Amino acid sequence: MIIVRFLIDVLIIAGGVFALAGALGVLKMPDTLCRMQASTCIPTLGTICVALGAILYAAFFKHSAADAVKIAVIALMIIVTNPIGSHVLARGAYTSAKREGTEMLLNVDDYGRDFHE
Amino acid sequence: MIELLIGAVFFALLALSLVYRIAVGPTSADRMVAGDACDSLLCCAMILFSMFSGRGIYLDIALIGAALGIIDTMLIGRYLEGRL
Amino acid sequence: MQKTRFSAVLSTFILCMLVWIVLTWSFSLQELAAGVVVSLASALFVSRFFIHEDAFRFFNPVKLLNLIVYAGTFCRELVKANVDMAKRVFGGCKVNPGIVRVPTGMKSDYGLSLLANSITLTPGTITVEVAEEEGENCYYIHWIDMTAESGEAAGEAIKGNLEKGTRRVFD
Repeated sequence: MIIVRFLIDVLIIAGGVFALAGALGVLKMPDTLCRMQASTCIPTLGTICVALGAILYAAFFKHSAADAVKIAVIALMIIVTNPIGSHVLARGAYTSAKREGTEMLLNVDDYGRDFHE
Repeated sequence: MIELLIGAVFFALLALSLVYRIAVGPTSADRMVAGDACDSLLCCAMILFSMFSGRGIYLDIALIGAALGIIDTMLIGRYLEGRL
Repeated sequence: MQKTRFSAVLSTFILCMLVWIVLTWSFSLQELAAGVVVSLASALFVSRFFIHEDAFRFFNPVKLLNLIVYAGTFCRELVKANVDMAKRVFGGCKVNPGIVRVPTGMKSDYGLSLLANSITLTPGTITVEVAEEEGENCYYIHWIDMTAESGEAAGEAIKGNLEKGTRRVFD
């Protein structure tokens, strides 16, 4: 039991570190698309580590299979829906920046060369 | 287990710190990125707090937040693209 | 608008029923009967938008095994990219971003979307657009650290292992 408890602590701390990296990236990065890249840390490893820890707690301490399955469904839902919204938002950010003439931090821009003359 | 509560409070504080980016973000896309990250962080915090307090209702709230969080992101993205 | 096919309805019904059982988590007869009715109604309406290709692809055990192997590969890439991004954020946010055009050899729609979503889910790369030019599909990928300029070298660095695994699942 003490091993499981130690494992839960390690998983929650790892999730906290990756979520901290994502949040700091959103606060500190210099450009919109770079902020989006940093924020991808939160739904991937942050959520996976925290959900694994909570599943272990629900299975070994609460003895509740329903809670464990529901946490797994929540984590799966976050992970599956995040890239779709991220992709749509990236395209919207690029198009609106082109339309309003905002300067973007891009060293190579094949997309603008091929699609926005 | 007290560390579940500490983790939940830590995640909620991270979500609160992202309000700075929502307030000052130069463009609308920045605000939406921070809002999306807030959504994921609050889902994690609710999972941990549900495990700490032993109430299942927080899991339902987290599930709804995770399932419906994509809709506003896609709506704002489509609007910024000019196809809505 | 496609015709509604029986196999598509059946596979969508199985998926909806699984989600219903997981969400309610009670096995009394009334709950299961309500689940059957709701799943059947939603499967009849949704399946024609939902499934365009072979509905029972994953009942083939080789494909299922390849999908599990692909999940392992993807997790390894995910951990690597996450550690790299965390180091970058804690070490002063040095970035060198750009959008690069990467050609790919994938043909089927499911394979294309699975590979694009896997690329978007790894921190450091976002798929901005999937385009088809002269019979060849290509991605436009925003990459935060442009260590390679040309399309092929960048593609090898971004999706080298992932594309091999995806091609073993679909195609």
